[in-house]
Amino acid sequence: MIRLTAGGAWPRTGTAAPDGLLAALWQHRQGRAGLLLMLALVLLAVLGPALLPHDPNLPNYAKTLAAPSAEHWLGTDATGRDQLARLADGAHRSLGGAALVMALVFGVGLVVGVVAAVAGGLLDIVLMRIVDVMMALPGLIFAFAVLGLLGPGYLNLLFALAVADWAYYARLARATALDAAARPHVEAARMMGRAPWQVLIAHILPAVAWQLAVLATLGMGGMIAAISAFSFLGLGVQVPHAEWGAMLADSRFYFTIAPWLLIAPAALIFAAVLASNQLGEALRDITTPEGRS
Amino acid sequence: MRCITSRGRRPLVSDAATITQPRWRSGARAPAAKIMQAGLSVVGASLLVWAMMPLAPGDPVNMILAARRIEEPTLEQIAALRAQLGTDLPLWQQYLVWLRGVLTGDFGFSWRTGQPVMAEIAARLPATLRLVGTGLAISVVWSLALALVAARWVGRWPDRLVLAYTRMMAALPSFVLALLVMQFVVVGMGLGRVLSGGAGITLVIAAMVIGIDRAAGWTQLLRAGLLAQMAQGHADVARARGASEGRILTRHALPGAALPFLTAVGISIGGLIGGSPVIEVIFTWPGLGEHVLMALSVRDVPVIQAFVLLAVLAYVGASLLIDLAALWLDPRLRGQGAQT
Repeated sequence: MIRLTAGGAWPRTGTAAPDGLLAALWQHRQGRAGLLLMLALVLLAVLGPALLPHDPNLPNYAKTLAAPSAEHWLGTDATGRDQLARLADGAHRSLGGAALVMALVFGVGLVVGVVAAVAGGLLDIVLMRIVDVMMALPGLIFAFAVLGLLGPGYLNLLFALAVADWAYYARLARATALDAAARPHVEAARMMGRAPWQVLIAHILPAVAWQLAVLATLGMGGMIAAISAFSFLGLGVQVPHAEWGAMLADSRFYFTIAPWLLIAPAALIFAAVLASNQLGEALRDITTPEGRS
Repeated sequence: MRCITSRGRRPLVSDAATITQPRWRSGARAPAAKIMQAGLSVVGASLLVWAMMPLAPGDPVNMILAARRIEEPTLEQIAALRAQLGTDLPLWQQYLVWLRGVLTGDFGFSWRTGQPVMAEIAARLPATLRLVGTGLAISVVWSLALALVAARWVGRWPDRLVLAYTRMMAALPSFVLALLVMQFVVVGMGLGRVLSGGAGITLVIAAMVIGIDRAAGWTQLLRAGLLAQMAQGHADVARARGASEGRILTRHALPGAALPFLTAVGISIGGLIGGSPVIEVIFTWPGLGEHVLMALSVRDVPVIQAFVLLAVLAYVGASLLIDLAALWLDPRLRGQGAQT
């Protein structure tokens, strides 16, 4: 859905052709901010569980709803579990889950789109009609349907979100593949006698992968929001596992005495979606440096 | 990619036509084709929605008994359920039977409560529609105001402020915003009620959350559309004739930028209905939300089917209306049947 509504394209001064992706992102104001923020969150997810002294799932009934202190930097929840440890542990499920779904739709979209473009004919028609039907339904509603079919659960949620989202990627992959195949340098490679599979690997797949990566980065924020929203409703990550949205759900009844339980997960969800959006918009600017108007 | 025109070049007439079209709808066709397309979408959706029943893992009879918490059913109970569901028929007949029921508003019985699905939904739907409708109206007005301000003073501080605001809001999921409002405004400042019971003040607060959340993306879209229109020839002509920038913005740029904006609004209907359960649960709004959530957590398939199909109908219907309105408003779109 992010894709359909975030039409935030505005004219900007052109970026020079990127030497390397990271360098280009670094030179882009939004890109640098997104990169740094995302790096911090990934570090929290990767290093946090190893470095933090507390067990995210170990209750301590002597210290419930403790305020932030030297021992518990972000306080404890209603059963005395350390919030910082739970946030770090939950980062796997919020961020990692979103990354997993994006990788899944990236892969499925790439294969379906390129196969449709390369094969053409009946297979192309059949695949694209399926994509049409998928895209005719609102994504969130589709996720509801799949989740209703499979029942609540974290893996079911990831699967449902992937099923609801892959069609956009397949459509873009097919369009990009056809576009790339018609470009002069690909034409030239073909005339020089390169085998079709060599052309595919050397020229078409990179173009498709690049386009899909931009789309996936732009969609990542919405995916993080969706995972935490469904988990908030109790349809995703199940107790006792930590996840930012599920932690928000737990915090609701204690807000007046323990506001840190609401603010910290909310801030992390905000930061993660912001970082993804900034990265996605920066990538889009870099790939279309002339600026869309 | 067709819609990208290089900046600085005076757009030709054909460019102008492509600019006013949003990228995802570059193939406009005649009204009849639009209606056909919408019909096909609905038929395809109905097949998918129906398929939930046979696709659902496990025997539906077991699931119904589990949903109703009947631990040790008698053989008569099982046989009666089987006959009621019609699971002995071949699949295509099951689909037709189901479709005939749906067309007359009969979605069967809720597995959880045993009540007719449609009656349960009809009792709660008006509250949801009231909430979503109010949210939609707030969102349109809010994004219109912000985009006009940003486009009027483009590049200066009001524009920067609006852009920064929309970026922040785009990163704040609606349920997080709703929670913050609930805790800080309703509980903290004592405005409204914690348990709504359908009170008017809750409607206003919840609809504002929906409206503010949606407005972020729409503001960016409309602002970009307005700026594209302001750079076009007809705006220059108006400028040469001495029209003020404000007048050019509202009289010349806004009509041209309105169509992509309206299309985005129409497309979002599905997302609005899909997103309303979480807002309703947070504000304890007596709409469909709680009901759908209960259905999802015990896999009450008929209720989910009805909810999904209603949302799809609202979405397809809104998209169709916008498409038809676009054809009516912008004659240039009618001639472009070949472009897809």
